[in-house]
Amino acid sequence: RYVRQLQRLQLLFSPTAADARGARQFVEEAAQDFARQHPDVVLYVSPHSGPGPAPVLRAEYLNGTVREELIASKTSEEIVQLATKMANQSGLDIIRIRKPFHTDNPSVQGQWHPLTNKPSILTVQGPRLQPQ
Amino acid sequence: MAAVRVAAWRRSGLCAAGLRAFWSGRRCPQSTGCRKEEREVEADRAVPEKEERSEPSLICPPPCSRSYLPPEDLQSRLESHVREVFGPSLPEDWQQTPLQENRLKHRLLARLAAELGHAVPNSQLHRMRRAGDVLGFYSTPVKDGTKIDELTAAELPPNLKIIWQQ
Repeated sequence: RYVRQLQRLQLLFSPTAADARGARQFVEEAAQDFARQHPDVVLYVSPHSGPGPAPVLRAEYLNGTVREELIASKTSEEIVQLATKMANQSGLDIIRIRKPFHTDNPSVQGQWHPLTNKPSILTVQGPRLQPQ
Repeated sequence: MAAVRVAAWRRSGLCAAGLRAFWSGRRCPQSTGCRKEEREVEADRAVPEKEERSEPSLICPPPCSRSYLPPEDLQSRLESHVREVFGPSLPEDWQQTPLQENRLKHRLLARLAAELGHAVPNSQLHRMRRAGDVLGFYSTPVKDGTKIDELTAAELPPNLKIIWQQ
């Protein structure tokens, strides 16, 4: 069973700042649809009046990681894409993975890819044949 | 002569800092007004403060709400007003009456504003060319609150929380 690793999304923005226009449009139009499509994520919308910090989308994951993304001067669609991207991630840190082993010959018979051992008709393109 | 006028204008609370205080949402420009006013307004301030303690609504009434809902018999009311103002010179379809003459147009719009409590703003006056345009304007409802207030009042999915600090 799939357990979504994103626990909650906090949308912090100012109701009057110019760069929070995308955030306000997102709240008015797309926030309800996003909340319905992702019922296991809690979405907190907190507008704070007066001049304040830049608008930010804060994601908290089940392993405790808190990731903040700036949404200043972003359109509503971009914020939707960003929110879905964060909802599909796990809370592991996004850094380069280094492993303590190395080899000069990683594969002898050819590295497996999803189309090995499948009939070749799946990829053939010809004047009358389309890939299935 | 000019100094007297300037002093009166400042005292009436319409100088830049007084306007800024009004539009920033505070009910009355309090004692943090502009410094130039202080000398002239000191005497006046004693009186308004006493009035404020007894009846706060005397000095600045709360801003009136702009909300407007079109009544159900809007068409008949509008038609009767058009016939009153224009008299005999009406084409067959009363909605096509041109509002070219400024006096008749002003009369009609003033009567409608007084009756319905909702006036055509100056920026929309040039669009009111026929009675049909006026009908269209008065049949659009106007809502007062901000979008976030509407959202908090509307039905939200259970995982969407709006925290509105005012």
